[in-house]
Amino acid sequence: MDTAPVISLRGVRRSFPSGGGRVRAVDGVDLTVCTGEVVALLGPNGAGKTTLIDMILGLTVPEHGTVEVLGTTPRKAVTAGRISALLQTGGLLPDLTVRETVRMIASLHRAPLGVDEVLEAAGATDFASRRVSTCSGGQQQRLRFALALLTRPEILILDEPTAGMDVNARRAFWDSMRSLADGGSTVVFATHYLVEAEQFARRAVLMNAGTILADGPTDEVRQRAGVARVTVTWSPTDTELQALEHVVDVQRHGPRLEFRTDDADGLARHLLTHTDAHGLEVAPASLDEAFRYLTAGETERTVAA
Amino acid sequence: MSIGTYIAMDFWRNLRNIGNSFFVIVLPTVLFLFFGASMEWSNVPVGEGNVSAWTMISIACYGAAMAATSLAGSAAVELQQGWGRQLALTALPHGGFVMAKTAVALGIAVLPVLVLNITGVFTVTDMPVGTWIATALLTVVGVVPFALYGLAIGMAFRSDAAVGTATGLLVIFSFLGNAFTPLDGVLLDIGRFTPLYGVVALARYPLTGGDQISMNGIAGNDPLWMVLANVVAWTLVFAAACLMLQRRRTRRQ
Repeated sequence: MDTAPVISLRGVRRSFPSGGGRVRAVDGVDLTVCTGEVVALLGPNGAGKTTLIDMILGLTVPEHGTVEVLGTTPRKAVTAGRISALLQTGGLLPDLTVRETVRMIASLHRAPLGVDEVLEAAGATDFASRRVSTCSGGQQQRLRFALALLTRPEILILDEPTAGMDVNARRAFWDSMRSLADGGSTVVFATHYLVEAEQFARRAVLMNAGTILADGPTDEVRQRAGVARVTVTWSPTDTELQALEHVVDVQRHGPRLEFRTDDADGLARHLLTHTDAHGLEVAPASLDEAFRYLTAGETERTVAA
Repeated sequence: MSIGTYIAMDFWRNLRNIGNSFFVIVLPTVLFLFFGASMEWSNVPVGEGNVSAWTMISIACYGAAMAATSLAGSAAVELQQGWGRQLALTALPHGGFVMAKTAVALGIAVLPVLVLNITGVFTVTDMPVGTWIATALLTVVGVVPFALYGLAIGMAFRSDAAVGTATGLLVIFSFLGNAFTPLDGVLLDIGRFTPLYGVVALARYPLTGGDQISMNGIAGNDPLWMVLANVVAWTLVFAAACLMLQRRRTRRQ
């Protein structure tokens, strides 16, 4: 597969006034996304995800740094229909029908696909004549999906795409998204459902307070956060316990000891070869934990500095 | 890209909004048929025409101002509820939204003027043709301050309910603006400073040359500069409010 960079941000900064001063929503971000990648953008509210997405789409201009999309400016890529987005809640007119909404937005694109074609692709044909105000959250989201598909974009940006969906709608949504990604489209999505990142994205970018904390294959990011769990049956002495390295935290559950570690292999090797610990189990921690660990670490570092 | 399709669909969307169409087209027409076309004094001469013409112009101004306020207000609400972001992801050029919305608002505001003037032609309204055309055009021009008024309310309160209230307030402005019942004395003196007074007086200027008609004859005469001062002053007030609100809004973006 061709892996040319399609999105590239260099030293991007953007701040907003807040109270008396200014808050740096995005504070020095470098990010490159290549053709066909599926990237999850993770972070708590206020991490800067939406501002970052707005800059990739040309809805906001960075104060410092450059944003390049498909070798040109975001606005030109949008105008050409080569990048598209499924925006967060809102952005629809309640008194239009689903089909009318698609027709209206289609009329503002240079070479849109057919209205019926995108309704079909987004699974919105069944309720196409319904007013937007009477559509469920999941149906509105499928409508937004249809709008995003209108220009057959090479890059699709999703900002919290499954917010307000029930479990079934969420599964159906990711199924259609997966087939799109399999077709070679580049997908970047912001989410706070970490499960979605684990299941759907091959790459995860963790943001907090406007900066990128970790960026890499989703599995690796999780490992880098250092939170694998190693559980053994063992009754160590204090000296033995203190001799252990790479242990973040330890908890006792009856005869079992549960370690949180950033080097599961090393810890397991040590426990099995140098101690009488047995019944060893290793489990990767969820991204949720990785995320909590990384952002907490960041806060401590900031406080210390 | 076919911005014409977009404008046509937005026009139709606003037109089929029953609330809007009723207050903007049906209500003014009914008001005119009652108070402008079938009263015993409808045929009494006023200026270059008759009382019916006086009433028709007043009510057309009210309808057009309603249309402009409601459309501009809902445009501001639409933008802030994210439709603007949706449009920013299309090939629509910068400023395209304002252009499209102006076309739609003008189209809707022209409707009550058109319907009332045609109703006038087929009832008892009487004016020389030149005067008639001049008053109709001035009626349409008079929507400008009210488009800004609606825009300001929409930006300030970000809800359709607020825009509805702002539109409702126009009934009071119309009363004080000497558009419904003919005022005289203190009420007329107060009314001269209210926003609808200027645009109504301006639209009626070709008919009466500034004379204000009351039940007891002529209640006074407004020189043209005074009428224009009212229109310009209120246009500036509402425009300033819009600019201030716009600055407050973009600070976050």
